[in-house]
Amino acid sequence: MEKTAQKKKKKAVSLITHLFLICLAVVVLLPFVYIVLISFGRGVTSVSTVIPSSFTTRNYSQLFTETKYLSWMGNSVLVAAGTMTVAVIIVFTSSYVLSRMRFCGRHKLFSGILLLQVFPLVLSMVSLFKIFVAIGFLNKLSSLIIVNSVFSSAGLILVAKGYFDAIPHSLDEAAKVDGASRMTILLRVIFPLALPILSFIAIQSFVISYNEYAVASAIMSEGVDTLPLAVGLQSMLHGQFGQNWSLYCAGAVLGSIPMIVLFYSLQKYFIGDLLAGGVKE
Amino acid sequence: MRRRLSFLICLMMTVCIWACGVTPARPSQILAKEPPSLKVWFSQNDSENKVLEQIASRFTSETGIPVEVVPRVNVFNAKNDLVNNAETDARPDIVFMQAPDIGELVVSGYLLPLDIGDETRSRYADAAFEAFRYGGEIYGAGYSIELYGLIYNKNLISEDHLPETWSEFFDRAEQLTLKNADGTIAQYGALLDCKDVWFNYPIIRNFGGYYYGVDRNGGYNPFDIGYNNEGMIQYCEFLKEKMRTGIILRGQNQSQSEISAEFMEGRVAMIIYGLWTASYWQNAGIEYGIVGLPRRDDGTMSKPLATVNGFVINRFTFHREEALRFLAYILRDDHQQMLIEAANHHERKTGLRTPVNLSVINSAYVQSDEILRGISEIGFDCEPFPNIPEGTIWYNYTSPALKSIFFDGVDTKTKLDELSESIRSDVQKMNIVPEPVSLPWYAWLILGATVVTAAWIYILSRRKRRPVLYRLHYHRGETMLAWGLLMPLLILLGMFYLFPILHNIYLSMTDFSGVNLKNYSFVGFYNYQQIFTDGLKGFAALLAWTVLFATLVVTISFIFGTFIAVLLDKIDARLAKIYRIIYILPWVVPSVIILLMWSGMLSDNGSISKLLGIADPLGQPWKARFWTILVMIWFSFPYYMIVAYSFLKAIPKDYYEASSVDGAGPVRQFFSITLPLVFRAVLPTLIMGFIMQFNQFGVYILTGGGPFSGRLGEPGATDLLITHVFNLAFNSKRYALAAAYSVVIFIFVSVFSVAAMRVGKASPDRLG
Repeated sequence: MEKTAQKKKKKAVSLITHLFLICLAVVVLLPFVYIVLISFGRGVTSVSTVIPSSFTTRNYSQLFTETKYLSWMGNSVLVAAGTMTVAVIIVFTSSYVLSRMRFCGRHKLFSGILLLQVFPLVLSMVSLFKIFVAIGFLNKLSSLIIVNSVFSSAGLILVAKGYFDAIPHSLDEAAKVDGASRMTILLRVIFPLALPILSFIAIQSFVISYNEYAVASAIMSEGVDTLPLAVGLQSMLHGQFGQNWSLYCAGAVLGSIPMIVLFYSLQKYFIGDLLAGGVKE
Repeated sequence: MRRRLSFLICLMMTVCIWACGVTPARPSQILAKEPPSLKVWFSQNDSENKVLEQIASRFTSETGIPVEVVPRVNVFNAKNDLVNNAETDARPDIVFMQAPDIGELVVSGYLLPLDIGDETRSRYADAAFEAFRYGGEIYGAGYSIELYGLIYNKNLISEDHLPETWSEFFDRAEQLTLKNADGTIAQYGALLDCKDVWFNYPIIRNFGGYYYGVDRNGGYNPFDIGYNNEGMIQYCEFLKEKMRTGIILRGQNQSQSEISAEFMEGRVAMIIYGLWTASYWQNAGIEYGIVGLPRRDDGTMSKPLATVNGFVINRFTFHREEALRFLAYILRDDHQQMLIEAANHHERKTGLRTPVNLSVINSAYVQSDEILRGISEIGFDCEPFPNIPEGTIWYNYTSPALKSIFFDGVDTKTKLDELSESIRSDVQKMNIVPEPVSLPWYAWLILGATVVTAAWIYILSRRKRRPVLYRLHYHRGETMLAWGLLMPLLILLGMFYLFPILHNIYLSMTDFSGVNLKNYSFVGFYNYQQIFTDGLKGFAALLAWTVLFATLVVTISFIFGTFIAVLLDKIDARLAKIYRIIYILPWVVPSVIILLMWSGMLSDNGSISKLLGIADPLGQPWKARFWTILVMIWFSFPYYMIVAYSFLKAIPKDYYEASSVDGAGPVRQFFSITLPLVFRAVLPTLIMGFIMQFNQFGVYILTGGGPFSGRLGEPGATDLLITHVFNLAFNSKRYALAAAYSVVIFIFVSVFSVAAMRVGKASPDRLG
């Protein structure tokens, strides 16, 4: 009897959990449903329209025929992938150093890295631009990769260092006793354990770079087909197309596909119980 | 060891300052040998760019001067991009831009005055060059004009019945307004936005109000503001009366786009508008026409405000003569014809560009199209928007001022006086030449005392915290290796974080502003003096709200995100996968677009108010604050969910096993194990999150800082510290002041973060 009661209780709990999660999903999805509706809408002139009066797929075809959508998206994916690679390398080595190596000034340095980011950098574009000019960064996609990877890794080191601290030191010590070199420890012991956080870093740096607007629009002042997507999309709102909400939303819907694909393909690294074997001491 | 560290840091800083100080080699000597190549920044319109390229290659074959036509994403960035690039290797020679943007550029010396001959002038409408006149010189040549007129729905009003004067306009509008039995409006005779001063400007002028007066030489006088004269009061009272007839937009947050939408539905007979959304009307099957505005009641012409777009020349060009020649070449009648036809997509005649060249206006191409002809002819009598740097000041004030006059029942005269006062005060602030300010002796004393006390407290706390037991001996080789490995990161941080911060501190001590973009000089602590003398009104309340906002958003998103991560960990893995994909959406899709969607959904006739039955969610201060916090949590919880998720895996399972032996339920486990452990690990991220929310500009896209209740220029209910002070400084274009504000905020937030780090790390677990 007691067992069935417990089972019932368990079932009720899981039902409530799912109900809650579904409600949350609805709340999360609401604005996106809206974006999708508008992207198929015809003659949407304002965002407060609840449901467009008629639907069409013309907005999507217009993206490819009348704008440089494909090259924008290509540029953005290229820059974001580059940023992702550079950021993962920088963050992985730097947070390993900050977390594992005993050296003079490491606590100060860590606080320093945090403090540097207190400054609202986007607001001092004038100062940033000075340095872009000085090092010849104008109108190059490669400069966006460098800038974006600095911006994203500065913040991500803070997360990654915390994660590295949580990986038990006994593991590296054991490997050391076995005679492994530092490089071997880094690649064979730490790297597999750090995969969840590395995939997080990969996604976050991709997202930051993919959505970055301020620096990109300042640096890429020449040409239309060399723009990244975030800047190109904005031109749908004020530009040759007037305030074309439908076109803008269509662009945003297609534009989020690379990120969703990336997240989906990296998701298994979050889920896999990678630390389970190692943590039990 | 310590000395070595400070040496390293010094070295890094010197390297980075040196790197920034090195100016790129001046290309003038190199270029002098090559044939000069002109660079023209042009349009976002593809076909227009192609035609200019054709014209350019003709020019090249005639003169041997190569020309490069650079497509641009939009014309609005032209001013900033020119300032940024004017003296770099990428400098453009000819730039296509809006006439109202030239004021700042002229004052700071970025534009070349042009000598336009009478022959050229006689081939163009007056506005083409007058719009670019500044202080007696002409700085640009107009190519197209953006303006508006009276647009009417041919099925609702015939051309012969169109009003001749403004009083006829309002009579006709009332006659044509039809109501249903239940009092709702079936058809509008006309539809106006009472908060607007751009499209309604001709009506304001009809009553006698004006923006900036004109001085004897024909230039604008920004100190002469006609927004609180008798005429303007009459105008407001008149519109207030008309509100009852239904020809004024009802919702206080509605704007021109709603008017255009109603016109598209075929429910409005007349609107005052341009052709920006004309393609929608066409697709919806509306038969519309455009004519000039009704005359003023005294019989004179009404002039719509107009923005002329045209070409200016970069003063820092290396090819002055060539640029002038090419400009004259573009201005030829046949080339104007080619450009205008291409810009309007040839036979599609989209109305995207309205010509100012007389021969083009009179050509068969324009005259055979009723709409193009209609709008082109309005261009003969228009009022170019003031191109002085003070021109944009009204943006900040008119809409909130008129909103409180028309919707909050504030006394018209009082509010209009306040409006003019606010504009005038900003004009004054823009025109002050700052005197260098140095700190008085007592300020130095206080500063010195603070530093000494801080150092003393620091030393004391160090002594206590570090018993001899803990003193670590660092290995020299290890230290060298570590710094070596970190070098790439540190150099990059030095360039893209440290240098901009230092440079920003320098800027905050100069008189860098919209009217002094180039030759700014050191003015000491002038801007800081400004902040601490008159910038502190309502500062405490604003700061309190900002801190509350940032704390709530970060705390709730963190707890909620961790909670969801735990929940997803417990349920079936396949389902969790699906949920997770959904939940990360707010994190991965560009936030600007979703913020715009949210602001649409939260507007007073948006879907939130319709679905949930909440009237105008952003209407009252606390309601608006509630929704702002909610939307920002919506944005940031996925990030913490993912962060927490990767940390969950690192929490040893024994903790949970031990606690469930002690009889702790899942709720207690969550609050006493999961949350604290994740919190400890992600503390730096949380502090970063707080900083980001503290400097959150997204709120501005969502609410515009409103609702406003106090005097104009005071913070609105959802204004954060940073949005408010930047608005203050930017509206009067005092960029150095903005820099000073960001330094002050930087110091405040740094102190906070250091304190938070200390408190959070109070646990002795530092040996790691």
